[in-house]
Amino acid sequence: MRSLLAFLALSLAFAAATTLGWWAVPATAALWGALLPSVSRPALVAALAAAFGWAGWLVLDGIAGNSAFGVLAGRLSALTHLPAVVLVALTLGFAGLLAWSAAVAGWVLGTKYFGAPARRKTA
Amino acid sequence: MVPLPMSHTPLRSRVRIAVAAVLLIALGYVGARPVGGVPALGGFLDPAGGVWALARSARLPERSSARIPGLSSPVEVRTDDRGVPHVFAATEDDAWRAQGYLVARDRLFQMELQRRATAGTLAEIFGERALEADRAARRRGLAWMADRNAAKGDAGSLTVRAARAYADGVNAWIDAMPRSALPLEFRLLGGRPTPWEPKHTYYLFAQMALILAYGDEALSRLRVRALVGRAAADALFPINSPIQEPIQPNGGHAPRYDFAALPPPGPPDTLADIAWRDRESIDLVLGLPPRRPGQTDAIGSNNWVVAPTRTTAGHALLAGDPHLELSLPSIWYEIHLHVEHGPDVAGVTFAGSPGVIIGFNRNVAWSFTNTGADVRDYYAETVDDLSRPSRYRVDGEWRPLERRIEVFRGTRGETLGVDTLYSTHRGPMVREGSRWVSVRWTPFEAGRPGEDFLVLDRAGSVTEWLDGWRDFVAPAQNGVVADRTGSIAIRSTGKYPVRPGSGRGDDVQDGSTSANDWRGYLPLTSYPFARDPAQGFLASANQQPVDPRLNDSYFGSNWYSPWRAMRINEILRADSGVTPESMRRYQTDPGSPRADAFVPAFLAAAGRLAAAGRADSSLRRAAALLAGWDRRYTRDNRRAVLFDRAMAALTRGVWDELVPPAERNSPGARAVAYPEEMVLLELLADSSSAWWDNGATSEVERRDDMLAAALVSGLASAERDLGPAGSDGWLWGRAHHANIFHLLRVPALSALELPVQGGPSTLSPSPGRGTHGASWRMVVELGPEVRAWGIYPGGQSGNPASPHYLDRLPGWLAGTLDPVLFPRSIEELPQPRVKSTLTLRGGP
Repeated sequence: MRSLLAFLALSLAFAAATTLGWWAVPATAALWGALLPSVSRPALVAALAAAFGWAGWLVLDGIAGNSAFGVLAGRLSALTHLPAVVLVALTLGFAGLLAWSAAVAGWVLGTKYFGAPARRKTA
Repeated sequence: MVPLPMSHTPLRSRVRIAVAAVLLIALGYVGARPVGGVPALGGFLDPAGGVWALARSARLPERSSARIPGLSSPVEVRTDDRGVPHVFAATEDDAWRAQGYLVARDRLFQMELQRRATAGTLAEIFGERALEADRAARRRGLAWMADRNAAKGDAGSLTVRAARAYADGVNAWIDAMPRSALPLEFRLLGGRPTPWEPKHTYYLFAQMALILAYGDEALSRLRVRALVGRAAADALFPINSPIQEPIQPNGGHAPRYDFAALPPPGPPDTLADIAWRDRESIDLVLGLPPRRPGQTDAIGSNNWVVAPTRTTAGHALLAGDPHLELSLPSIWYEIHLHVEHGPDVAGVTFAGSPGVIIGFNRNVAWSFTNTGADVRDYYAETVDDLSRPSRYRVDGEWRPLERRIEVFRGTRGETLGVDTLYSTHRGPMVREGSRWVSVRWTPFEAGRPGEDFLVLDRAGSVTEWLDGWRDFVAPAQNGVVADRTGSIAIRSTGKYPVRPGSGRGDDVQDGSTSANDWRGYLPLTSYPFARDPAQGFLASANQQPVDPRLNDSYFGSNWYSPWRAMRINEILRADSGVTPESMRRYQTDPGSPRADAFVPAFLAAAGRLAAAGRADSSLRRAAALLAGWDRRYTRDNRRAVLFDRAMAALTRGVWDELVPPAERNSPGARAVAYPEEMVLLELLADSSSAWWDNGATSEVERRDDMLAAALVSGLASAERDLGPAGSDGWLWGRAHHANIFHLLRVPALSALELPVQGGPSTLSPSPGRGTHGASWRMVVELGPEVRAWGIYPGGQSGNPASPHYLDRLPGWLAGTLDPVLFPRSIEELPQPRVKSTLTLRGGP
């Protein structure tokens, strides 16, 4: 339960940070990696949470845009010659990979400069 | 647990860290920077403010508010279900501010692109590949002239006030625009909108002048003269149309055919050969490439007005449909501006132009077609230093050149080039080969661009409307107008130069003498004009505006064949009970006077050859197929393709002398220019003219031989490309399409291969590749309450995710018009049709 809450909180943090710009995703993940994540596999959690946070935005885009989201996805698909689902996957994958790599980097830096928490596990 | 130093980290972890580091750097790079044409992925994919967020901004909020600095009092905006904003403002300035805000919200990229194209700053968003276009734009000098006019504009003048107020609105949107609303094109190109300056409105009008006041008839005539001599060239590209169906009624009840025998091809004219190369070189330096031969009336328009005596309801009716290059988003933006104790006007305008350009108010409706006047001349200048001129000589005296340094920037602000440009009292001066040539062009002299349209928005009667744009400069337009009292009028308005000598500007003039300068402009009394004529209607379709027997002033030459004018006049002469619905129907009428003129000629030729025993089975079959055509360009028509291909073959075959000799044997060879089809019709009267002979054969062909050969060739090519005669492949809607490209010509954002009713020179023309056509169709009834209908292909929004990006396309294709809401107050707006409410207030 605690892990789930942590995951949701982190997802929310990623979603909120994204309002500042995409760069806030790696920044948040690095912070997460550096500052005492007490959950198992923190980088993976960061990746999933970032993707989940961005998925939340996509859902919001879809709800607020109504049918416009489908139209947009269709046009982007025609523009890129990629299926719309691949574009969505690319979007979430971009956030996830960015968060994972930044979380690992954060973990390394955190370990180097702040020491490791007692319950810290490998990234 | 004490953390392990890196050297003690297990190998698996070290690999993971290395992978993560590489990935982070790589993702950071592609996230922040565009790579190989792919935009920077971070900002692009970011769902909060990136491309996906366009879905959120695709729909206008039901209720919102914003601030525009300078607003004197709040402005209420109601956007209806067609995406049309109804602006209720206390003052005109406030209305223009709101208009700038709204158009920027819906068309920001279009505004940016248009102004950059005129200013020659496209390289700043497209990079070095746009540098040559930028250089040509700067050499043309339209933006430079606009800058100068904007700088010296009187602050109290209508133009300056409107341009400033409009810019306030645009910039208020840019400043407050949420990340999610950044147009897709900026995301793809990686740029940001730049602040809008009042002078950018001037640029827009300069750009329109470039499109509409740029004829190359002189070049065509010179090129043809070089091949077949002056007499033939003058006959093929005449000053006066051989079919007279003028805009100003000439008292005739039918077109007048002033046909004469065409002089045979003469010997090549070497002087003209030099002259056309000169002229074309200058055109190219100025980025004015010759128009593609065979693009019949691509840029053209229709408008007509009907007096109450000929309408069912007894109210004047007006129709207008400007034909321009079709684009997504459309060149037009529809808006209604309601000013307390001021104009209450609706219609369409350009993205970037305050007010309404084509439309109506409570009393008057109006529309324009292009006159196509000859308003551009070149002068060879004598300069003091060929490489670095500082003076030029006129009448034996040296005059200083105006000099400016033009810097070209790239996407990162880097300098891509620096040009030094000059101008004389005539206009910009460019270097062409080893000489310097200056350009005189009426758009340079439009000191208050757009002002006339703002005045027209206020007109309360036909008289006021005519008076309102009496000083209009360029591009010359045929304006029709009707008012609620039932008065109708038409006038071809613009500055028409009076030249010395022949009055024509074909050759590059000697600039060293002021005797070659324009002597002034034709007076208003010479403009083609008619008001409340006995015939009860007035129409224009880019034909020669006035019968030379009534007014021999020189306006231009090589006018479009008047097929559209003939058709609309034929229809209006026959209809004494016109209704708004019939006006709508006429706008997409599929009938073709061109076909009416040429089909009988094809059939008669085939008949004569058959009677003489010289018709083979192909000719008999082709003639039978063509005889079965109703001469209408409807989508389900299965014969129009045959006629079109036969006409193309005939044109190529007859004018083979106009193909440069060195190219005559190469496949796909084209003439340097093709005469208008009315000249071909003129030639039909002379069965043994030397023009009928095909130089590629040893026999001497005559008219009937060429007509028959073209018909057989048309059938063969249609069957080869489209399948057996009469098959589905021959359906006009399948064989011919309209193609509406996005501004960046991205197919995914375009509407392509659209089946349309209409073909070359029908009232709703769709020539060539279908990239041009009716860019706006409007019908207005001037009754006790003004009623109007309108449509354009595309939609109000430039956001491809918006429901208003393409929502008008089906109606446009079907030839229907939308009723235009024109409420006198907010309360009069039908509430179910209001989709968005916006309150604009002043303040920072």
